[in-house]
Amino acid sequence: MEKILTKKSFPLWVKELVSYKIYAPQKNGDLWNFETIKKPESINLDFPNTVLPPKNIIFPQREVLLEFESSNENKLQVKETLPDDDPTIIFGVRPCDAKALTLTDKVFSGDFKDPYYWKRRNSTVLIGLACNIPPSPNCFCLSVGGSPHSKEGLDILMTDLGDKYFVESLSEKGSTLINLAKPLFQQPKAADKKAVEKTQAEAEKKITRQIKDIKKIPSILKNMFDSPLWDEESLSCLRCGICTYLCPTCHCFDINDEVASSSPVKGKRVRTWDTCQFPDFTMHSSGHNPRPDRASRLRQRIFHKFQYFVERYQNYLCTGCGRCISKCPVGIDIIEVLDKVRDYGS
Amino acid sequence: MVNLDNLKKEANRILKEEKVKYIIGYKKSSNGLFTVPAFIKNPEEVEKLTWDPTCVYNLTRFLVDEKRKKAKEKEPDERPVGLIVKGCDSRALVVLLQEKFINRDDVYILGVSCEETGVLDEKKLAKTLKGKKVKNIEFGKNDNFVVTTKDGKTEIPAKEILAERCLECNANFPVISDILFGEKVKRKSDNPFESLEKFESLSKEERWTFWKEQLDKCIRCYACRSVCPMCYCDECVADTINFAVIAETTAEEKAQKIKWVEKSPVTSENFVYHLVRAIHLAGRCIDCGECERACPLDIPLRLLNKKLEKEAKELFGYEAGFDADVPSLVSSFKDEDPEDFIR
Repeated sequence: MEKILTKKSFPLWVKELVSYKIYAPQKNGDLWNFETIKKPESINLDFPNTVLPPKNIIFPQREVLLEFESSNENKLQVKETLPDDDPTIIFGVRPCDAKALTLTDKVFSGDFKDPYYWKRRNSTVLIGLACNIPPSPNCFCLSVGGSPHSKEGLDILMTDLGDKYFVESLSEKGSTLINLAKPLFQQPKAADKKAVEKTQAEAEKKITRQIKDIKKIPSILKNMFDSPLWDEESLSCLRCGICTYLCPTCHCFDINDEVASSSPVKGKRVRTWDTCQFPDFTMHSSGHNPRPDRASRLRQRIFHKFQYFVERYQNYLCTGCGRCISKCPVGIDIIEVLDKVRDYGS
Repeated sequence: MVNLDNLKKEANRILKEEKVKYIIGYKKSSNGLFTVPAFIKNPEEVEKLTWDPTCVYNLTRFLVDEKRKKAKEKEPDERPVGLIVKGCDSRALVVLLQEKFINRDDVYILGVSCEETGVLDEKKLAKTLKGKKVKNIEFGKNDNFVVTTKDGKTEIPAKEILAERCLECNANFPVISDILFGEKVKRKSDNPFESLEKFESLSKEERWTFWKEQLDKCIRCYACRSVCPMCYCDECVADTINFAVIAETTAEEKAQKIKWVEKSPVTSENFVYHLVRAIHLAGRCIDCGECERACPLDIPLRLLNKKLEKEAKELFGYEAGFDADVPSLVSSFKDEDPEDFIR
């Protein structure tokens, strides 16, 4: 279903959706992040990239998995604490961030379908906004099989055409939302479709960064486990978690018991984000650490994204949002690292 | 003005004469305006070294990695590391020397003076130029920066784009060095605690609201801790695992590891983490501002450290990072120290 929605009508549409919990990019200080909105008029879709991708709405940094408490007979009571499945809408999802969710979907499926993840995922409608201008100078979605107007993972894709949006429904969930405010939407004219095509073609040209010959990377990496390159490229790495915590595809987590009382036992089992960039990620209780240094940790990040994941799921675990490049406090640039990997292979 | 050619000449000499293992300095990034840390091993690479207003990093931080790496080597190279330091970075180095974390022989200090200027705040620059891409940026002559964009050269007053800490800097020149580039002159800073004063005028309740909002943003990426040259502890209360564990550590000892801070990024845990860090930096922080620069969520961490810096100065007349031979603030006692906290 393809429709036209004027920018004037946009808040009216949002008004019709109030039974949903609505997230949209909001500005706080100088930064944009996804937050729940209170007023339909407060959605401003003219934003650069959000610091954090919408990943944390589906896969929050902290998730209580279960609560435990010992009763009088000293029996341990365990209560699973699944999240609410309130119908949720996220506005302004960038195509790269939506694609990233299709990748984490793979991880949280398989033999064990993660109920916490899927409860939120299934109850969320993703409304994307095509990037007419790359939201970051480090965008490189074209290199990793994406595009500034990719529909992958989205329920609706909106394209800004000046005073109106071209709204494309891509799933039943998406159509439902449009049907809730049918009279607001108009049929697109041939000129609108042409305008979309033109905008899309121009948007692609504006993306300046790319990983050349990325297809060669996975096989080259296979022979690079012991390469001195990892030492050289990681010299300035600080072992912080920025690159992975801001990544829309990184999904590693830790599970800890947060004990409120030890006698009688009472507490919560909590899942929190974790990252391969922290030294304690792989630390054994013996004190041995199989990934003992910066080099092995950088290597892990690159291998997971461009080798292991490709082998297992036939996809790069990277959607080219550029956050890890823009926000690295010491300027480590994943494109540059991969350029060197490719040079190493030739 | 720092003469870059002279800096390179000296770098070349110490590498050629094999006086140092390698040099930690700044080089241009292949993508983007800001420099990146450079690790120069061969004289042929010296050409990469640069010095401009985007040399924001406190390279002293990398001595922590060097020390850890050296500790693991069976036959370590005992030569010093060449280190390029600005004023603030040199004060960090003084604290590390004072705390005997490093020895003076471990480092050959190439000091560069910011003189009457300093380094840029990337966010301020982007705001001032409204997102216009900068091709080049140089130190100007009249307390300004010369910025080249696609529209040509413009001059921007230093005050508009200098990092906040540079506007409040105590010593824009290295306080310790083996060789100094530039002059030992400093920028006129009217008030070293200017940014703090607005905050200090807030009521207790307003401060709580402010910090709760700020620290609730924290995602515990630990970039503030990782970028800090003072955060060199092997064992940190913020980690769930004790890194000081070795094969000989008994199970009992391991079990005794107390979890002070949970991994959950919630108000209570975020507060414990940040306040513990701030207290541990009292009398040690030299205001390089790296924690605040690194923070992806713009938490004004410098304010916390600045407050403690002020307390140390007012209560004990102590300023961190100027003299490696005096005892550190928390390990010294003077008869005239205030004791009105004893009630």
